[in-house]
Formats: sequence, C-alpha cells, structure tokens
Amino acid sequence: MKIVAPVASMEEVKALSRAGAREFYCGFVPDAWIEKFGVLNANRRPSGNFRSHAELEQAIRIAHQNDCSMSLVLNAQSYTNDQLTALVTLAELFRDMGGDALIVSDLGLIGELVGHVPSLRIHVSSVATCRNGSAARLCRDLGASRLILPRDITIGEAREISAETPDLEIETFILNDGCIFEEGACATVHLPRNLGGPICMDNFVNHYSRRGGGSLKESILDKLQENDREYNQWLWYRFSCGFKTTETGMPFGPCGLCALPALLESRITAVKIAGREAPLARKLASVQMVRSVLDRIEAGYDAEQIMQFAKELRPSVESCNKGYMCYYPEVLKR
Amino acid sequence: MAASHSPPELAVSAVNPASLLRIGVDKPSRFAHWQATLGDPDFARWLAGFAPTHFYVGSEFCEHLLPGAKVLKKAVDHARDLNLPIALLTPIASPQVIRTLADLLPCLPEGCEVIANDWGVAHFVRERFPALRLVAGRILCRMQKDPRLGQSNLPAQCDFDPGPLRTMFSRLGVCRMEIDVPLSVNDNTFSTLPTHTSIHVPFSCVAKGRMCRIGSLAIQGSERFAVGRKCRKECLKVSARLERPATSDAFSAYQLGNTIVCRHSREMLGFVMTAVERGLISRLVVPGEAI
Repeated sequence: MKIVAPVASMEEVKALSRAGAREFYCGFVPDAWIEKFGVLNANRRPSGNFRSHAELEQAIRIAHQNDCSMSLVLNAQSYTNDQLTALVTLAELFRDMGGDALIVSDLGLIGELVGHVPSLRIHVSSVATCRNGSAARLCRDLGASRLILPRDITIGEAREISAETPDLEIETFILNDGCIFEEGACATVHLPRNLGGPICMDNFVNHYSRRGGGSLKESILDKLQENDREYNQWLWYRFSCGFKTTETGMPFGPCGLCALPALLESRITAVKIAGREAPLARKLASVQMVRSVLDRIEAGYDAEQIMQFAKELRPSVESCNKGYMCYYPEVLKR
Repeated sequence: MAASHSPPELAVSAVNPASLLRIGVDKPSRFAHWQATLGDPDFARWLAGFAPTHFYVGSEFCEHLLPGAKVLKKAVDHARDLNLPIALLTPIASPQVIRTLADLLPCLPEGCEVIANDWGVAHFVRERFPALRLVAGRILCRMQKDPRLGQSNLPAQCDFDPGPLRTMFSRLGVCRMEIDVPLSVNDNTFSTLPTHTSIHVPFSCVAKGRMCRIGSLAIQGSERFAVGRKCRKECLKVSARLERPATSDAFSAYQLGNTIVCRHSREMLGFVMTAVERGLISRLVVPGEAI
C-alpha cells in the first residue's frame, strides 16, 4: 500500500520521501494561467501550489531519485471550456517535465488527456464523486488507472468497488481532510476567514421549523438543540480538534489509521494524506504516522494491536474512542 | 406570457408522490398550492399560469429518499391517470443505491426520464436500461453558487458553461440537462444554453453532504454523523432557515436534510420570467413540497 502525500516545495519532496511517502501530488499554477483567467482556480487551492516551472521540474527529479512519483492535480469542481483547453496544455507541460500522473475531477477531460498525454497515468479525483462500482467501471473505460474514492464512504463500500473493478487501482483518504459536504457537490468557495471561511465552518445559526407550516413541539426542539450541540462537537473533531497538532506536528482530526488492516484486505492500493497548504511538520508527522502503522501490519500485528498502537501514537485514546475523528468509525465496533 | 412562444414544460418534483396530487387543475387552486408551498405570492401567481407537464419522484440529494418499488409503481399509475410523464430523481449513489435502482428502474415505462446526479448512475442506466431517457441533474452540471458571494464581482466559475459536459453527454446518450439559475444570470444567460436545458426555480442547491445533521438525531455513539447509516427521514418534517449573525446576505439559505439550498433573488427570478416570455427556457423544475 502506497502513502500518497501532498507537496508544495522541493524540500518537502525530499523530507517526505525519506519518511515513507511513495507518491506525491501537487498543484501548479503558472503565470500564463493567471494571465489568461485571472484566478488561481486550476486546482481549488489559492495557495500551496508550485508557481515556478523550474522548481516543479526539480521536485519531480527529486521524487524520481527517491523512487517516488509525482501527480499534478487538475481538480476544480468545474471548469469553463477555455480552461479545459488550457488544462491540456498544462498537462503537456507537466509531461515534458517528467511528471507521472494527473489527478482529474472532470470525467469529460479524461478522454482529452488520454489522447494528448497518453504517457501520463490518470487518477480520478475524489472531487469527481465517484463512489460506486458503475462509476468506477466508467472511469476505467475512459482510461483512468486509479479512482480516488471520496471521503464519505464505508470500508464495505470501498471493498465492494474494489472487487468490482480489480483492474482499477483504488485510493482512499487516511488523514486530515475535514470537509463536511461532498467535494463534488459543494458549489461554494472558501472565502477569507473574515468573510465566513469555508461554508461548513461559517457561523450559521439554524432556525428550525416544521415544513409546510405549524410549530415544533418543545420536546422536538430540545432534541434538535441537543443534536446541534453534538454536531458542533463533531465539527470540532472533524476540523482537527481545533486544528491541533502534537509538539512534533502529529495532527488530530480526521483519521483512518485503525482501518488500515481492513483497507489492505479490501485491496486498496494507496492511502491519501490531505492538506497541500499545511506546514511541512504536519505533513511529515502524517506520513510518519501512516508509515509506522503499515510497518506494524507488515510485522504481523493483528487488527486489535494496530488499533491500540494507532490510538497511542499521538496519543489520542479518548478522542479516538468518541469516534468523531474517524473516517471509518465502523472499525470501533469490531 | 408572449403568445408567439409555447409555454415551458413544468416539472414538479417531490419525494412523496402524494404531494404531487395536491396541485389543482385550475389556475386559482394552483396559485393557492404554490403560495403555500413556495411562500412567494408574486412567483406563485406567475407559476400558476403554467400547468404541470411532468412529475419527478425521488431525490436528487439523498440515498435514503428514493421511493420503494411499491410507491414508485403507484406514482407511475397516478401519473398515467393524469396523462403526465413521470421521471425518477436519483442522487449521488453508493453501491447500495445502484442495487436499489436495479429494482426500481424496471418499474418505469419505456421512454421515462431518469435524472442522474452521478456518472455511475448514468452509466448504469445506459448499460442496463437503454430504453429510459437520461437527464443530467443539476449536481452534475456544476457551477459556483455560493449564496454568500452576492451578485457582484463573481468569478468565472459562477457562469454555467455546458461545453465541458458535451463529451460525457454524447458518450452516455444524455438527452437533457438541468441547472440552477447562475448567480451571474443576465439577459444572455438562457439564450446561450442548449435547447434541452431545464431550469430549477426558486431554489439552488448550494452544497450537499452525505453526512446528515438532522438525520443523526436518533443516532447515538461513535457512528453519529457517520455515513451509510439508517435514517428516520426527519428531514421530511423539519427544515432550518440559516442565518449568519451580523451579516446581511442577499439570499435566504436553508438546510434541508443533508443539503443547503438558497432562494433565488427577485432579480434572478425576473431574468427567468423574461427568458420564459422570450421562449428561451424549455422546462422549469419546481419543488412540489414546502421547504
């Protein structure tokens, strides 16, 4: 199982490969894109992107020297037709730099890319929101080598999709991404924090009412309020327990470490660490955490021992037991 | 309405097919229904000028709100009695949804539309039920619709560009697409769209989760707010108006189950009404159940 990690600089490639990452993904927004479109939306992130051709080329070289590969993300929720044409040019540029794979959110773009840059592998982004076997088969038929499943799936579903498409690699989330809505079904922008930030972190107040008119009983309102309090607690866990890390950078928050044995059994090819914009310390600690669990699985630890080890890593036993940090909370029931 | 143009088709969507039967056949009763359902007298009056032409049953947003086979068969019978075509709304699909659709789709008469919001569903329909007509739902027809942006200085992604979808539509045999009214709507928006485009009014889908806050009301323990759990469908009875304290957002936003929707501004609806008068919109889609 490969660890897929985000990078935004050459230094990160070197450090993360030594820690055990085998694949990297990055954003690249050249000046030509900004001159033409005036925005940084080639890949949904205003920062955490390579901006220099030379630096990205060097990062790819370092990745290859360390037996790692580099993927370029082309994964905005939507593009205009003009932008799709520019993305093909960007992909050609990435191929010429020696890049290995493209992470693509627009299924219509896959055919174009297969035609123009056949030497590059195509990984379907989680933003494409393909989370069933039929979608996986379609991705494969379009020419994709890998499907990155969205965050919000169960291990059983991942297993089923993987079994239905044995000739397609499947990647799942393992650490750090906390979005509440499905990426491909969220039509919002991450506003600056003073304007509200991401919509799922914005300061909305819910005023409940009965659909179609009439008032809600006090007992229902009480339950809704209790549910809101619990939801806010869940949000806190989901957003990395208040964006906390340990002193060594180990992140709290969305995590699937205990599920690694089950994901391996489900023939999952790769696990993704999210957070292109995160500091190196957090990325490094994330890779080390996943690597240390995989090492123990390879050493023969059983699922229970793995869970114990994973919980004590940060340590986060109490938070782990709550289940709200888990991508795959069903493992706690086993 | 301009006499020189045919009125648009009017599709009414609902999770519960019984809701569709409450719409009256004459203009006053339609007005009463739309006023009660949509809460906007001016828009209700305008909408009452059009008779429903299609019934949409199911859900674009939630895997738990697909009808059972029995309910769908009943809805098909009702629609037949009223001489209206029925269409099945489908959400982003888990593997279980695909299995459910394998049971549901044989209930639909040949030529019925399936509104797909998932490429896997579209692929499944094309492979297994080629006699059904595929419509690309508004979740597949993406654009930015953040209600907090207002309607000025919008980025390019707030325009809807159908160009990027053509390849997939052609591959899968998609015959119609559905969109929300773009935040950047203007006089030219609808004249540049392909003919077979349906427009949803008066709410846009802003963001949809698989996790559902209100659907977790009855769940306790570690799997509360997790996905793939059972649901008591609390969202059919309760919704929430969303307010951002100390802001004056131009749009009203609501949480409806796992989805945030926002109501179109009067200005946006004005562009839609004008486009309908000019014969530029072939179908409107309106929710048949109160928010």
